[in-house]
Amino acid sequence: MTKFVRQLQFLLFLLPILVIYSLFTIFPLVKAFFLSFTNFNGYSKVFDFVGMKNYVRIFADDAIISAISYTLFFTFAKALLVTVLAIPLAMILDQKFFTRNLHRAIFFFPSIPSGLLLAYIWGFILAPMGSGVFNTILKGLFNIGPQPWLADPLLAKLSTIVVATWAITGWHAVLYLAFLQSIPKDYYEAASIDGANRLQQIRFITLPLLAPAMTISIMLLITGGLKVFEIPFALTKGGPGFETYSITQVIMLRGISETQYGLASAMSVVFFLIVLAIAVFQVTVMQRREQSMQ
Amino acid sequence: MKKKSLLLLITIICLSLVLAACGGNASNEGKKGNEGKSNDTTDSADAPKPVKLSILAWNNEKEMKPVIDGFKKKYPHITFDFQFAPPVADYIKKLQTMLLSDTTPDIFMIAAENRNEIIDGGYALDLTDQPFMSVMLDSNKPMLSKNGRTYAFTQTGWAGGLFYNKQLFQKAGINQLPETWDEFIQACLKLKEAGILPLYDRMHDITIIHSAMFGSNVLSKDPSFDEKLFKGEATFAEGWTEVLTMWKEGLIDNKILTPDMIGMTSDQVMNEFALGNVAMFPGGPWNIGTIEQTNPDIEFEIMAIPGKEPGNKYFNGAPGVGFAVSSKTKNKDEALLFLEYLSTHDGLKQFEEGTGGIITAHGYETKVHPAYEPAYKDGLMAGRIYLPMVSWDRHQEALRNQFLVGFQDIALNHITPEEATAALDKKLKEMDNK
Repeated sequence: MTKFVRQLQFLLFLLPILVIYSLFTIFPLVKAFFLSFTNFNGYSKVFDFVGMKNYVRIFADDAIISAISYTLFFTFAKALLVTVLAIPLAMILDQKFFTRNLHRAIFFFPSIPSGLLLAYIWGFILAPMGSGVFNTILKGLFNIGPQPWLADPLLAKLSTIVVATWAITGWHAVLYLAFLQSIPKDYYEAASIDGANRLQQIRFITLPLLAPAMTISIMLLITGGLKVFEIPFALTKGGPGFETYSITQVIMLRGISETQYGLASAMSVVFFLIVLAIAVFQVTVMQRREQSMQ
Repeated sequence: MKKKSLLLLITIICLSLVLAACGGNASNEGKKGNEGKSNDTTDSADAPKPVKLSILAWNNEKEMKPVIDGFKKKYPHITFDFQFAPPVADYIKKLQTMLLSDTTPDIFMIAAENRNEIIDGGYALDLTDQPFMSVMLDSNKPMLSKNGRTYAFTQTGWAGGLFYNKQLFQKAGINQLPETWDEFIQACLKLKEAGILPLYDRMHDITIIHSAMFGSNVLSKDPSFDEKLFKGEATFAEGWTEVLTMWKEGLIDNKILTPDMIGMTSDQVMNEFALGNVAMFPGGPWNIGTIEQTNPDIEFEIMAIPGKEPGNKYFNGAPGVGFAVSSKTKNKDEALLFLEYLSTHDGLKQFEEGTGGIITAHGYETKVHPAYEPAYKDGLMAGRIYLPMVSWDRHQEALRNQFLVGFQDIALNHITPEEATAALDKKLKEMDNK
């Protein structure tokens, strides 16, 4: 009885957050699932059930097919680049040098402003005219003519990935830094006495002990990458053609702009399942890797 | 003792109630007395009840202040609960939420982007037979109408065209504005030969050039083309293929417009023009102030896009957003009074002063910037303006997105104009069958 009362007390404390979570997360999810079987247009409260029609339409939509391919490319390229850059950066920032805190702040700063704001600034840097900042530098240093950074399909994809990587690398470096600081210095001293050089220490001590940080960092990069919207939208509006359309942009376009809420809800449901499947797969694989490395 | 206290308490309560009742009577009498007095001067029995009108506008409070102050001066019993949302997407989303949650304001705005949903949903009052509607230009009515009934009042309009730099034109030896599309392309090539960048166009939306080209080549021959298109009697392929082919052959193949312009923003394009780095750019009245601020020495003017045959010139443009009255309003008379005030000379003047909008109502003359006069006189007031999203009967946004993707792909040489228009026809069919 006492145990039951104690548990009830815990449950009572959890109740407010459970109500808020249900109201703002579970309810919209269930509602989106329900609307995905209707032709709701966002204005009229009268709508019909259309069965699986919206789900069939998703795979006939050129924009969504292109968006899935771009979003996956963006996600994995960004995750790879950030990981490759953030770990060495974290190791450098972990060293003792005079301006260490200033450098940590400088690298962390790009992750603070909104992606939209950063992208607008980069829009000027990558402007395709000869007077664009990047093109002016290229002309001055290497006598290379103006490049269509945001208009050529491949360059536009690469530009959005570079800007997104630049924006978030410092944040992930700080995450790795926190894990680096928890590695006991004794390990390195022992390895050094045994004759291990710096590279061997990184290979056999640092990287295995950073495995949990990599699981978290890559999971955040993948889920964040799949949900990307601001940076490609502000830089290219999804163009040229459908080349840099992200999945979230298509959902917003079909739902809000074209008032096809039923179709957009079906896209959201499919998108939710894709993100869930990839995130679960990635975490499972990386946790196994953690165990095998330790 | 306890009984005595209870009795005392009851007595106090009773006395308080009696006194309060007397006080109430006294104040009522006082009020009556005052009313009696005021009857001597004004007829307060007929004095209108105070009313609070709710309004959702996409002009902010500062812009709307002159017209609201003017109205309040005339009707002091009406006050406003003013709400603002910036155009276009934010405004549409906010209004949509209000419509669905039954919190629709008494007065709101209808734009090309949401007119179908609002009119079809029965959210706006039919204003067709209101006397003040006679002030509205007939050419402004179709955007806010369905089946011959008009659901909002607009007193403004806008037109966009090509701004050209007079000094750069002279430098390239162009002394006369082009009368035909071929002459226009020749002028662009002449500018190029003189080492001057002829034209910048951001390609992030259906462009001013496309819209005006459709006007000068298709509408000038068949003004009812879009009507036929949405009745299934014509196709995008029939109307737009030639226009897109002319655009591609004239501007893309001659490298007057290049695909890298897809990455440009409106501000970048305008700045390059203002700095004298490019001879032309498509723009509208909203650009004039910034151009002059950036370069006070620039000599510029707006021009129309000519068609294949001489004399067929068109601008891009549309009526301004319209003020509508909610069909569920409890303050219908007062809301209509506000729209009526907007149509008066005083209302038009205050609206123009506050918003800087170009008034296109009957019986009102707007003074526009000299550089903008051709667009105002030959475009806006002559009804030679075209904007697809206003003219298209349904699925405007889906078609607009398809169009945008199509012409960007043409610019990149990924598809032909025929393929782009076929995709538009397919999209229309798909949206009709959704």
